[in-house]
Amino acid sequence: MDNMMLALSLLLAGFIIVFVVLILLIIIITVYGKIIQAAQRSSKNRKEKKNMVKTVKAPEPVKAEPAAEVKNTMPDDENGEIPGEIIAVIAAAVDAVYGSKPHRVRAVKRSGKGRSAWGNAGVISNTSPF
Amino acid sequence: MEIFSQLGSVIVGLYESSGLCHLGWQNYVMILISFVLMFLAIKKQYEPLLLLPIAFGMMIVNIFPEIMANPVTQMLTADQVAARGLDPASYPTTSELLTKAQVIAAGFEPSALTHVNVEGTEFYKVVYYTVTENGGLFYYLYQGVHLGIFPPLIFLGIGAMTDFGPLIANPKSFILGAAAQIGIFITFIGAIALGFKTNEAGSIAIIGGADGPTAIFVTSKLSPELLGPIAVAAYSYMALVPIIQPPIMRMLTTKKERSVVMGQLRPVSKLEKIIFPIVVVVLVAILLPDAAPLVGMLMLGNLFKESGVVDRIAKTAQNELMNIVTIFLGVTVGATASGTLFLTPKTLGIIALGLVAFCLGTACGVCFGKIMCWATKGKINPLIGSAGVSAVPMAARISQKVGQEENPANFLLMHAMGPNVAGVIGSAVAAGVLISVLK
Repeated sequence: MDNMMLALSLLLAGFIIVFVVLILLIIIITVYGKIIQAAQRSSKNRKEKKNMVKTVKAPEPVKAEPAAEVKNTMPDDENGEIPGEIIAVIAAAVDAVYGSKPHRVRAVKRSGKGRSAWGNAGVISNTSPF
Repeated sequence: MEIFSQLGSVIVGLYESSGLCHLGWQNYVMILISFVLMFLAIKKQYEPLLLLPIAFGMMIVNIFPEIMANPVTQMLTADQVAARGLDPASYPTTSELLTKAQVIAAGFEPSALTHVNVEGTEFYKVVYYTVTENGGLFYYLYQGVHLGIFPPLIFLGIGAMTDFGPLIANPKSFILGAAAQIGIFITFIGAIALGFKTNEAGSIAIIGGADGPTAIFVTSKLSPELLGPIAVAAYSYMALVPIIQPPIMRMLTTKKERSVVMGQLRPVSKLEKIIFPIVVVVLVAILLPDAAPLVGMLMLGNLFKESGVVDRIAKTAQNELMNIVTIFLGVTVGATASGTLFLTPKTLGIIALGLVAFCLGTACGVCFGKIMCWATKGKINPLIGSAGVSAVPMAARISQKVGQEENPANFLLMHAMGPNVAGVIGSAVAAGVLISVLK
């Protein structure tokens, strides 16, 4: 009976202590997180202001003439949403994967909204070791 | 003819010294269990870093028990030392004065001993040589477990490998890390009800934290005699997280809850990450000094990593030190599972209660995840609650896997790492409570 009383009191004490310690940590982390974020934001603002002042004072740089104009000869997609360069890169990537097998890129479509394909690839490569 | 009889005696001698003659059925059962664990480690890849050395240690100790034998100190007479071909000058001596009757009863020849006259009574001086035989290899490696040295060292490595960023970005994760510890205290009641002593019940209950080093640390303080079964149970359940947790997670959540996509976590600055380990150690060590060795080493490792100024030390803690300690810990923990000591009703009770503790921890974490999901109006996926039991990073990986079964584009891993690392801190705090109350 004594042991059962000890067990019940330990259940309550353990429950309370673990929660109190971790809630204290939540409070401390939230508070110092906010303080640091605010401090970093204000220092960033100050830096930006300084930079703006410098840009105003600085003499206007001499505009360099482009050596040669590169013409965009790549065809854009049907809706004109994806630049020709991107389509060329995708076609090169497809070619690198398929190699000598016969292949043709028939359409290039944007994937759904949300995380981009590159973002997804990044997340997958980072999470696959786990 | 004599050659054949000698050959026969050599073969009989070999047979008598072999395991075939000395091993009991319990040893064979344990060898079979070790094969199953090796299969799970190699084929299924369930925590192979832990399970493989544990299984191998288990196998080898049941074939060759002397590998775990304690060192033996014997008091030998000069005749016995000579009979063994030992050099008497190499051993320390102690002497004892015996009466004639005692000398004869002990089987010594009185005339061969030195006579001593003390206050008119005749005594005989018997000289003993203290000869110590070394213990088995694993006995010495096991001292790191027995003395509670390995668990804090493992925590140092875990700290150096852990990114507390997700926890700092979402400190509410601490609630889930705390919730998963409730199973520990509920199991404590169950163990008391089943007749275990309070210190034994505390050691059994800590298995629910799903943190091997913490379980070993608590048991070495509260009931060292149960170290073997508890360590094996804790590490086995950690390795079996992929089997144990998903059914509980699916049972306690709806399809809709499992499909919740959580928002991206905010970026955490380096300064926040550097301050975090210092704050945690100061707070936990002041409130619960008994948790200081574990939490202190965990946070020291993390400070090495986050400070960025001791890269070499951080890498050593993450790799070489961690790997060496893991090998010694795994093999010697497995070696505690000797058949005759392990296959007892008490051990089976410990293993059953450990499983209950672990399941309760998972269930409490998921239930609190559901409460948080409801409180945040569906912004938190309750599956991350199960990661509140430590088992880093396997428990977080299971949250990710079960979440992705419902929605393949859902990435819960980093969200689950918050409660997961909070669970490490939470189980160390729970360990501190158990030690301070029950020691």
